[in-house]
Amino acid sequence: MKRRLFLASSIAAALGGCAPIGTALNDNPGFHHLLGLEGALDAAILGNSAGLARQYSVADISPHFPIDSLPTPTSSTYEALLANGFRSYALAISGAVERPMRIPLARLAGMAQQTQITRHDCVEGWSAIGAWTGVPLRDVLRLAMPHRDARYVVFRCMDRDDQGTPYYESLDMAQAYHPQTLLALQLNGRPIRPDHGAPVRLRVPTQLGYKSAKWVAEIQVVGSFAHLYGGKGGYWEDQGYEWYAGI
Amino acid sequence: MRYSSIVQRLVYRYALLTRLAHWFGAIAVAVLISSGLQIFNAAPYLDAADRSTPARRVLSIGSPADGVGQLTLFGHTFTTTGFLGWGSDGVGGETARAFPGWLTIPAYQDLADGRRWHLFFAWVASLAWLAWLVSSAIKGNLAEMVLRPSDLPKLLPMQAYYLRLRREPPPHGTYNPLQKAAYTFVLFVLAPLIVLTGLALSPGIDAIAHPLTVLFGGRQFARLWHFLGMLLFVGFALVHIFQVATQGFFNQMRSMISGWYRLRDHESVGP
Repeated sequence: MKRRLFLASSIAAALGGCAPIGTALNDNPGFHHLLGLEGALDAAILGNSAGLARQYSVADISPHFPIDSLPTPTSSTYEALLANGFRSYALAISGAVERPMRIPLARLAGMAQQTQITRHDCVEGWSAIGAWTGVPLRDVLRLAMPHRDARYVVFRCMDRDDQGTPYYESLDMAQAYHPQTLLALQLNGRPIRPDHGAPVRLRVPTQLGYKSAKWVAEIQVVGSFAHLYGGKGGYWEDQGYEWYAGI
Repeated sequence: MRYSSIVQRLVYRYALLTRLAHWFGAIAVAVLISSGLQIFNAAPYLDAADRSTPARRVLSIGSPADGVGQLTLFGHTFTTTGFLGWGSDGVGGETARAFPGWLTIPAYQDLADGRRWHLFFAWVASLAWLAWLVSSAIKGNLAEMVLRPSDLPKLLPMQAYYLRLRREPPPHGTYNPLQKAAYTFVLFVLAPLIVLTGLALSPGIDAIAHPLTVLFGGRQFARLWHFLGMLLFVGFALVHIFQVATQGFFNQMRSMISGWYRLRDHESVGP
């Protein structure tokens, strides 16, 4: 009986010890960094895969598409854009490009449009299917002509968290030129609603939802994103999420 | 004389690689379960559908009000305050949270770090499994562990022995028929299914292998199977630990640490 009690308490201690030991290791910078190397491995294996996200039919579209982001921008700039129906909006393209430019919304809408019915996979675990219509990012990049040594495309957005930190995201050139990476203007046949990222939202169906930045104001082509904010290449990346979000 | 007969019945049962794979695998699985619960907490529900579909919700854990935790399973709601839905926040207090802090890595709610642990130890567990499989296959040790049709009639007599309805177990080799059934199921059915359903959750994997996600019914369905696989694995682990604890604990532990196992009266060396 004593032995069974000893065994039972050993097992209970082993189980109970799991979370505190794990938490202590999690707070150890060296171990935390070691765990993060797995993300780099995923990026090396899958990061530039040419695989296409699965296309669905109209019948598969989610009746309700969740909103799970920073709040819709409330800045005076965004209010003014909203007030005139985004007629004064222009997407800025800057950085390491031959031709920096501003593309008005009407011109984006006049370019060749792609519609994709794809699944949006949130890192939290939920997913939703929507029909996104817009301009493939590569068509826009070809207009601006990135320099040969350009490595990343950074998306600067109009939303901010409660600390005032703006949202931003980044893709490498292969991901940016992926045929399904889209600057979406419409969701399910209507202009994107303000809370879904109006007027222009990035859509990256081959990666988790936090890559699909809402309220894109500017596209910046860069050689490195180390100097931006937390240096990890995105708002959520700066908070510990993997830069390559395909897993 | 008696001493020598005992010595003769010590057999070197587990090769170094098998023992390493066992312990690396055991630690990795423990981490995978608790970091998986951490990840589950970010969206504490499971839908039997491709995309999230509340109408096809199989399980959800929530907190309808402060201080109240609830589990809803197939539409039936159970109060689980203090454990599921409302419990330890991992930093000394209580909060609305599906699985409590003492079950998750890290203890506090942190999806990003939970994912780091989970994805790192998924490699550890997979590589431990692969190393064990390759070395066992090369050495020809798999045959004594895999369940064969000839073992099937021995399953019930073996269970009868465990239930003390039978004095002697049916004759068997290194592993008894129930052990073979359990190990074959866990190592060759459950473990691969858990890995595949986990991969099917990833948009990057889905983009290069649609059939995998389709096979499991889509992403949310794969999440449901992944969770069920975890529950089955927990069930196996509980029985496994109980058996180790009751079927000669020190002999069992020594054999998985040093490799040497002392045969009991009814056991033989070969299959």
